[in-house]
Amino acid sequence: MKYPQALQDLIDEFAEIEDKMEILEYVYDLSDEVVEFPIAKWSEKTRIMGCQSEAHLEVVVVDGIVELRSGADAKIVQGMMGIITIAINGRKAEDVLQLKPDFAQEMGILNSLSPSRSNGFRNIFDKVMAEIRMKQ
Amino acid sequence: MSLKDDFPILSREVNGHPLIYLDNAATTQKPQVVIDAMSQYYSNSNANVHRAVHTLAGEATEGYEDCRRWIKSWFNAEKAIFTSGTTEAINLVAHGWGRANLQPGDVIVLTEMEHHSDIVPWQILSEERGIEIRYVPVLDDFTLDMEAYAVSLENAKLVCVVHTSNVLGVRNSVDELISLAHKAGAKILIDAAQAVPHDRIDFKQFNADFMAFSAHKMCGPTGIGALLVKNDAFEQMQPFMGGGDMIESVTTSGSTYQTNEHKFEAGTPKIAEAVGWSAAFEWMSEIDLPAHHERLLNIAKWTADQLRELGCTVYGRHQSGDAAVVSFLHPTIHSEDFARFLDAKGFAVRTGHHCAQPLLNRLGITGTIRASFYLYNTRQEAEKFIETVRHIVGKFA
Repeated sequence: MKYPQALQDLIDEFAEIEDKMEILEYVYDLSDEVVEFPIAKWSEKTRIMGCQSEAHLEVVVVDGIVELRSGADAKIVQGMMGIITIAINGRKAEDVLQLKPDFAQEMGILNSLSPSRSNGFRNIFDKVMAEIRMKQ
Repeated sequence: MSLKDDFPILSREVNGHPLIYLDNAATTQKPQVVIDAMSQYYSNSNANVHRAVHTLAGEATEGYEDCRRWIKSWFNAEKAIFTSGTTEAINLVAHGWGRANLQPGDVIVLTEMEHHSDIVPWQILSEERGIEIRYVPVLDDFTLDMEAYAVSLENAKLVCVVHTSNVLGVRNSVDELISLAHKAGAKILIDAAQAVPHDRIDFKQFNADFMAFSAHKMCGPTGIGALLVKNDAFEQMQPFMGGGDMIESVTTSGSTYQTNEHKFEAGTPKIAEAVGWSAAFEWMSEIDLPAHHERLLNIAKWTADQLRELGCTVYGRHQSGDAAVVSFLHPTIHSEDFARFLDAKGFAVRTGHHCAQPLLNRLGITGTIRASFYLYNTRQEAEKFIETVRHIVGKFA
């Protein structure tokens, strides 16, 4: 699949890192990339179900352009949100909906893409896509 | 040759590091003899049990029933019903005994320390039958409030209590719990999932009415477990699953049931798993369990002390009889991040609520990181674990 340039750059950067610890440290640092979603706005509606950590998001679609706002108490989970932010923010909703979650495996940040209690990324990705579909 | 050499999986690497498996409270690894026994069964003896007269069916039946003999002998039990594990064993008591013997207004006593498997079946039954559930609180020293327990027993028909906590490793005062339940006229079910891997329990002497456990936490296969039942409680049970193997005869006007354990084992059972479990029993019979238990508890205690020195809060006490489980939290590094960093270095630990949310609510937390040790773990592995925790704390705290 052809990815948007910002996401492709990120995938390429991850591809150069072999050590799992360094991959996680990079994801950890990407927690700064999220558009802040203040804790005061966190609610059951914004909660990402199935995550072990407390993770919340909202998606705003204005004039067809997507903005993800998000936050989590686990930095690596927030880092995953940061990656998705880079992948989708400022892009057209119809284009974003074409995106598949496989890029997380290409980056080496996931052992599995199957939905599960431990798979924060998949749960975040699925919720983002569901929100965009709803608000498109 | 070390005991670890019997476990092929323990020689693999994870993320470029030797695997150090510390998630034993979730499931233990399997020795080669268990893997071989299951493979051998499927290669040579696979057939359905009990009915056919051909040779393979005879071998399969022998393999399946041999495991029941192992269980009865290992635990000195009168009746051993195969289940898919501890959860199904508890559900069998809820549906097989509870439905037949509990009336609206009857009382079941649980504790705040229970695994969800020993809460949810009772909540379902409670909603269906109007049964009252009482919960025994957990005290600040991680033990059960025995005074509250004594009070809660008034009019109780059944007590369901965990032998050893999967979160804290704390071994409850089971002898006292059983004795007080019986004095109050209640039957008692012990969730022994975390106890049987460490302790060779004599079910008759133990004197509980029901005891539930799983094979996979004691080096056996997943998907099989057992419910031990005293004879009088067994006679009070009714099947809750109908089907093949559990019947004596079936006509269009009704059915009659077997009178032994098969009555509760409808459908084709877990034959290969039973064969594998027998191999696990045989392998464990060569192990000095009490000596290993003491060794592992010392490792857990040392690990807990080291974690405290690194600023972590440890949930547990690691006293004699407790399981080698170390649940902890760091004040600033999220447990999920911590576990991912540990995984990157080859350590398998568990995070989350460990299916014991009422206990974690009581402790005022939402999850812990849990390192749980078993027969093949060593002090050197614990030292490497602490060294890695120190590195993570140094970098991310």
